[in-house]
Amino acid sequence: MELNSHVPEGPLAEKWDKHRFSAKLVNPANRRKHKVIVVGTGLAGASASATLAEQGYEVSTFCIQDSPRRAHSIAAQGGINAAKNYQNDGDSIWRLFYDTIKGGDFRSREANVYRLAQVSNNIIDQCVAQGVPFAREYGGTLANRSFGGAQVSRTFYARGQTGQQLLLGAYSALSRQIKAKKVTMHTRQEMMELVLVDGKARGIITRDIISGKLESHSADAVILATGGYGNAYFLSTNAMASNVTAAWRAHKMGAGFANPCFVQIHPTCIPVHGDYQSKLTLMSESLRNDGRVWVPKKPGDTRNPASIPEEDRDYYLENKYPSFGNLVPRDVASRNAKEQCDAGKGVGSTHLAVYLDFAEAIRRDGEATILKKYGNLFQMYEKITDSNPLHEPMMIYPAVHYTMGGLWVDYNLMTTIPGLFSIGECNFSDHGANRLGASALMQGLADGYFIVGTSIANYLGSTALETVNNNQAEFSQSEHNVQERLQKLLRSSEGGPEGKFTVDEIHKELGLLLWDHCGMARNKEGLEKALLELPAIQDKFWNHLYIPGTGEELNQSLERAGRLADFLEFAEIMIHDALDREESCGCHLREESQTEENEAKRNDAQYSYVSVWEHQGEGEQPKLHKEMLTFADVTPSQRSYK
Amino acid sequence: MTNSIDINLEIWRQKDSRAAGEFEVYTLQDISTDMSFLEMLDVLNEKLTREGKEPVAFDHDCREGICGMCGAVVNGIAHGPEPETTLCQLHMRHFKSGDTIVIEPFRSRAFPIVKDLITDRSALDRIIQAGGFVSINTGGTPDANAIPIPSATAELSMDAAACIGCGACVASCPNGAAMLFTGAKISQLCLLPQGQKERKERALSMISTMDSEGFGNCTNERECEAVCPKGISISNIARMNREFVKASLF
Amino acid sequence: MACSGLCLLLFLCSHAAGNATLFISTSLFQSYADQLHSHPLIVSVFSKGLFLVFAIHIVTGVLLFLQNRKARPRNYKVRTRAIKNSQASGSMIYSGLLICLFVLIHTAAVSFGDHGRIGVTIAEMFGSFLLSMFYILAFIALAVHLSHGFWSMLQTFGISHPNYTTFIHRLSYVVPLFFLLLFGTIPLLFLFGTGN
Repeated sequence: MELNSHVPEGPLAEKWDKHRFSAKLVNPANRRKHKVIVVGTGLAGASASATLAEQGYEVSTFCIQDSPRRAHSIAAQGGINAAKNYQNDGDSIWRLFYDTIKGGDFRSREANVYRLAQVSNNIIDQCVAQGVPFAREYGGTLANRSFGGAQVSRTFYARGQTGQQLLLGAYSALSRQIKAKKVTMHTRQEMMELVLVDGKARGIITRDIISGKLESHSADAVILATGGYGNAYFLSTNAMASNVTAAWRAHKMGAGFANPCFVQIHPTCIPVHGDYQSKLTLMSESLRNDGRVWVPKKPGDTRNPASIPEEDRDYYLENKYPSFGNLVPRDVASRNAKEQCDAGKGVGSTHLAVYLDFAEAIRRDGEATILKKYGNLFQMYEKITDSNPLHEPMMIYPAVHYTMGGLWVDYNLMTTIPGLFSIGECNFSDHGANRLGASALMQGLADGYFIVGTSIANYLGSTALETVNNNQAEFSQSEHNVQERLQKLLRSSEGGPEGKFTVDEIHKELGLLLWDHCGMARNKEGLEKALLELPAIQDKFWNHLYIPGTGEELNQSLERAGRLADFLEFAEIMIHDALDREESCGCHLREESQTEENEAKRNDAQYSYVSVWEHQGEGEQPKLHKEMLTFADVTPSQRSYK
Repeated sequence: MTNSIDINLEIWRQKDSRAAGEFEVYTLQDISTDMSFLEMLDVLNEKLTREGKEPVAFDHDCREGICGMCGAVVNGIAHGPEPETTLCQLHMRHFKSGDTIVIEPFRSRAFPIVKDLITDRSALDRIIQAGGFVSINTGGTPDANAIPIPSATAELSMDAAACIGCGACVASCPNGAAMLFTGAKISQLCLLPQGQKERKERALSMISTMDSEGFGNCTNERECEAVCPKGISISNIARMNREFVKASLF
Repeated sequence: MACSGLCLLLFLCSHAAGNATLFISTSLFQSYADQLHSHPLIVSVFSKGLFLVFAIHIVTGVLLFLQNRKARPRNYKVRTRAIKNSQASGSMIYSGLLICLFVLIHTAAVSFGDHGRIGVTIAEMFGSFLLSMFYILAFIALAVHLSHGFWSMLQTFGISHPNYTTFIHRLSYVVPLFFLLLFGTIPLLFLFGTGN
């Protein structure tokens, strides 16, 4: 596997311009002769589909939900960053670039991140022109807020529903192209396989979720915008259908997978309350501005929080980090909550939660002020937990939220398979080892609206592509393989459910294994143990799984089983990756690599690289490749919050 | 407080779009009142699977009340008894031990049943395709602050834009009308300066698509507003009516 | 529905104004009727126009009812309304049909009766307890019909603004009550002998 990032020469600020000039173009009249497949309709997929169709390509777009508007981008709450400097508070493209690359703990590529900051401004222009109802000042100009500890106000928002509004904007642009017959929309279709012809991505095999029929779709290029793999952990803030299948299928066909162990764990989520729990709900980080985090000092103290006196409480963040207190970054807050619970001080029925207490803030500012700031969050919390944070402390616990890792892509967002592109959360490109708040929406739309179009033109304009159609041998072979895999999934279900396991039972087992050993804090011993235990779960899956029904109908158990099969394989490179990276950086904490004060210690001398994993065949160890990171314009520095 | 309840379920089972369908009765014991409604259905499905029976098919995705994918009619009310709450955010503490809960799919001529509780709501997508957008290509847009919009207008537009497209309005309307859904999108765009250029065409085209998709007519029953999980107001329907009259006459 | 409804509402107003003369005396009412019928052209144009509007309102109403029933090929097993006070909106077709029946009987008795002694006809009619009760029942149906119809008409015309929501809400009670009181007291007056 050859890793050439194709970053253009020249000064950082001029790279994107230079690249756009040197990139090949496709004559407008010829574009309609090229077909492009886009898988996924989140911010990245919908914006890419619409933009490519506007440019004149013939686009086929796929999503697993009943409508392209359902993609999980819709759940993003906080906002979207842009370097507009509308507030005149010292923001600039350079500052956004620097904050993003520093926030990622210097594990991302300078040129990509700089380009992201550059196009961030165009995104806001584009979305406003589409009719996205961003919050406004009384004078009619756009409002901004500071988010995630940023020192400038650069976050644009639409109430707590920014992701929804941006996605609906992209969805409306996509809808316009569907009506114009430039995009063919395939809903309730799941990508099962990537098809290569002569080593180039030329199509996909999909399964119609309603009829179970397999379909072959050919194209000149394929774009994956299928999001992240957080659901490997079973419990996460991701939507139920979010999965790694498309990316994993591409990986098995030769696409490198970068930094799979980089998983962001968000500290303020509503805790798990029972083994029936299906997903976790995120509460905005802003709660930590006024809430104080604490646990009882004595392990196993089950008293009602109100009857635990001050001297028996441990405000561990304030004690440990006097200057940042409760506002330490996401990864630090998450890790410390886990430490407390591991020490037996967790609260609630499951003992996997810590208190987030507003009592002092209410005494200080009054109920009205606190409600004005957090009223809607309190309401949401009460709806789910039936407890009012005004009267008793909230309980929170960290949850898997976003995956920085993804398919490796070059500056063109092209994977190691020619003609296969990856955009949005599906790729690894911009967030390094940790993503800053309000940056995911920015990246998804940057890739879809402003970057991938140039890449597609460059690829199609510089590559000789022979005509393919979807009934040639490569497609029928792939379809056959998919059929076999489905049969294999259903194989162990014959003879009824006795002594067998359901998909969710096995998925929960995998989730727990990953959470325990490849979650917030990792160590060599635990990771090696996980690698040893994984095969037993895989064996259980392939030999003792029960799926009711058949493959020739709408079968939600079978859909989930297919996704779990890929998570089970994927988990392996995730653990390998965490094992290989014997340093702590961003979200990835190796317990062996800490400072004397138990803080994450990065090791730039040895680990300043992107880990790229190559599939070596069934049953073979994956092979690690390294893309060395060089920093010409910024100097990596160590974070400190004491 | 966490409690456990026993419940009886009557759920509509229908093998596919052509099958006849009928209610089946199930009982569940020891359901934690902290469970969400969909988690209760997960528990039922796990039980059915272990018994070798076919689980109940239902649509769901984000499970945090924003994607609009989930939805069923619970005891006669779309998304169940709690106001401004999607089915995934409804919790079992709103039911009592011994309750019988009748769960039916959204029923409307425009929403054919796909399987069990799953319906085909693509007609809503086609209404948006008919004009629920501003015709602007990527790139070449003016600076975002070049179009000042009063804060109150932006908020009003946002009220309408909060629609999650779940289709509960159609499911609850005695006439199966999609006026609230269509009215919300027309309102969002006609309130904003960006939406002015195509204002008339948008209203006429979206409304005619709505009619041709088989939705019923509005007789101002207000059920849609009452069940809408996002609290979209029927003033958006009035606004759409104004837009329609203006577009038709002038 | 809203357009024809508005026309009918206007007719109702003029009819109510005419009837109001009954509160003064039957003879004044008789002279009002005589005045009216001294312009046969006006009466004929208006009565035919009115018939047309009624016909439009009823036919579109029934068609709408049938059409809307088809929008849900199979109804829910449990039929609960999410809003309170849905009786009026849910029963428009039935209150409407009752009003229609009333209009038929009323026109047969009054409009096609002897205009020369209409005052007497009225007095005789309301002497009958059953007929009076039927009239009152019909007026209640009218009030119920209007309590949804009036607001619904404004909503359909797009007349809605947050500043006027409360006002419109109140009007949707006041308007039907006004007609109920005005029309309803007439038979009561005759029934209890105070009508002259």
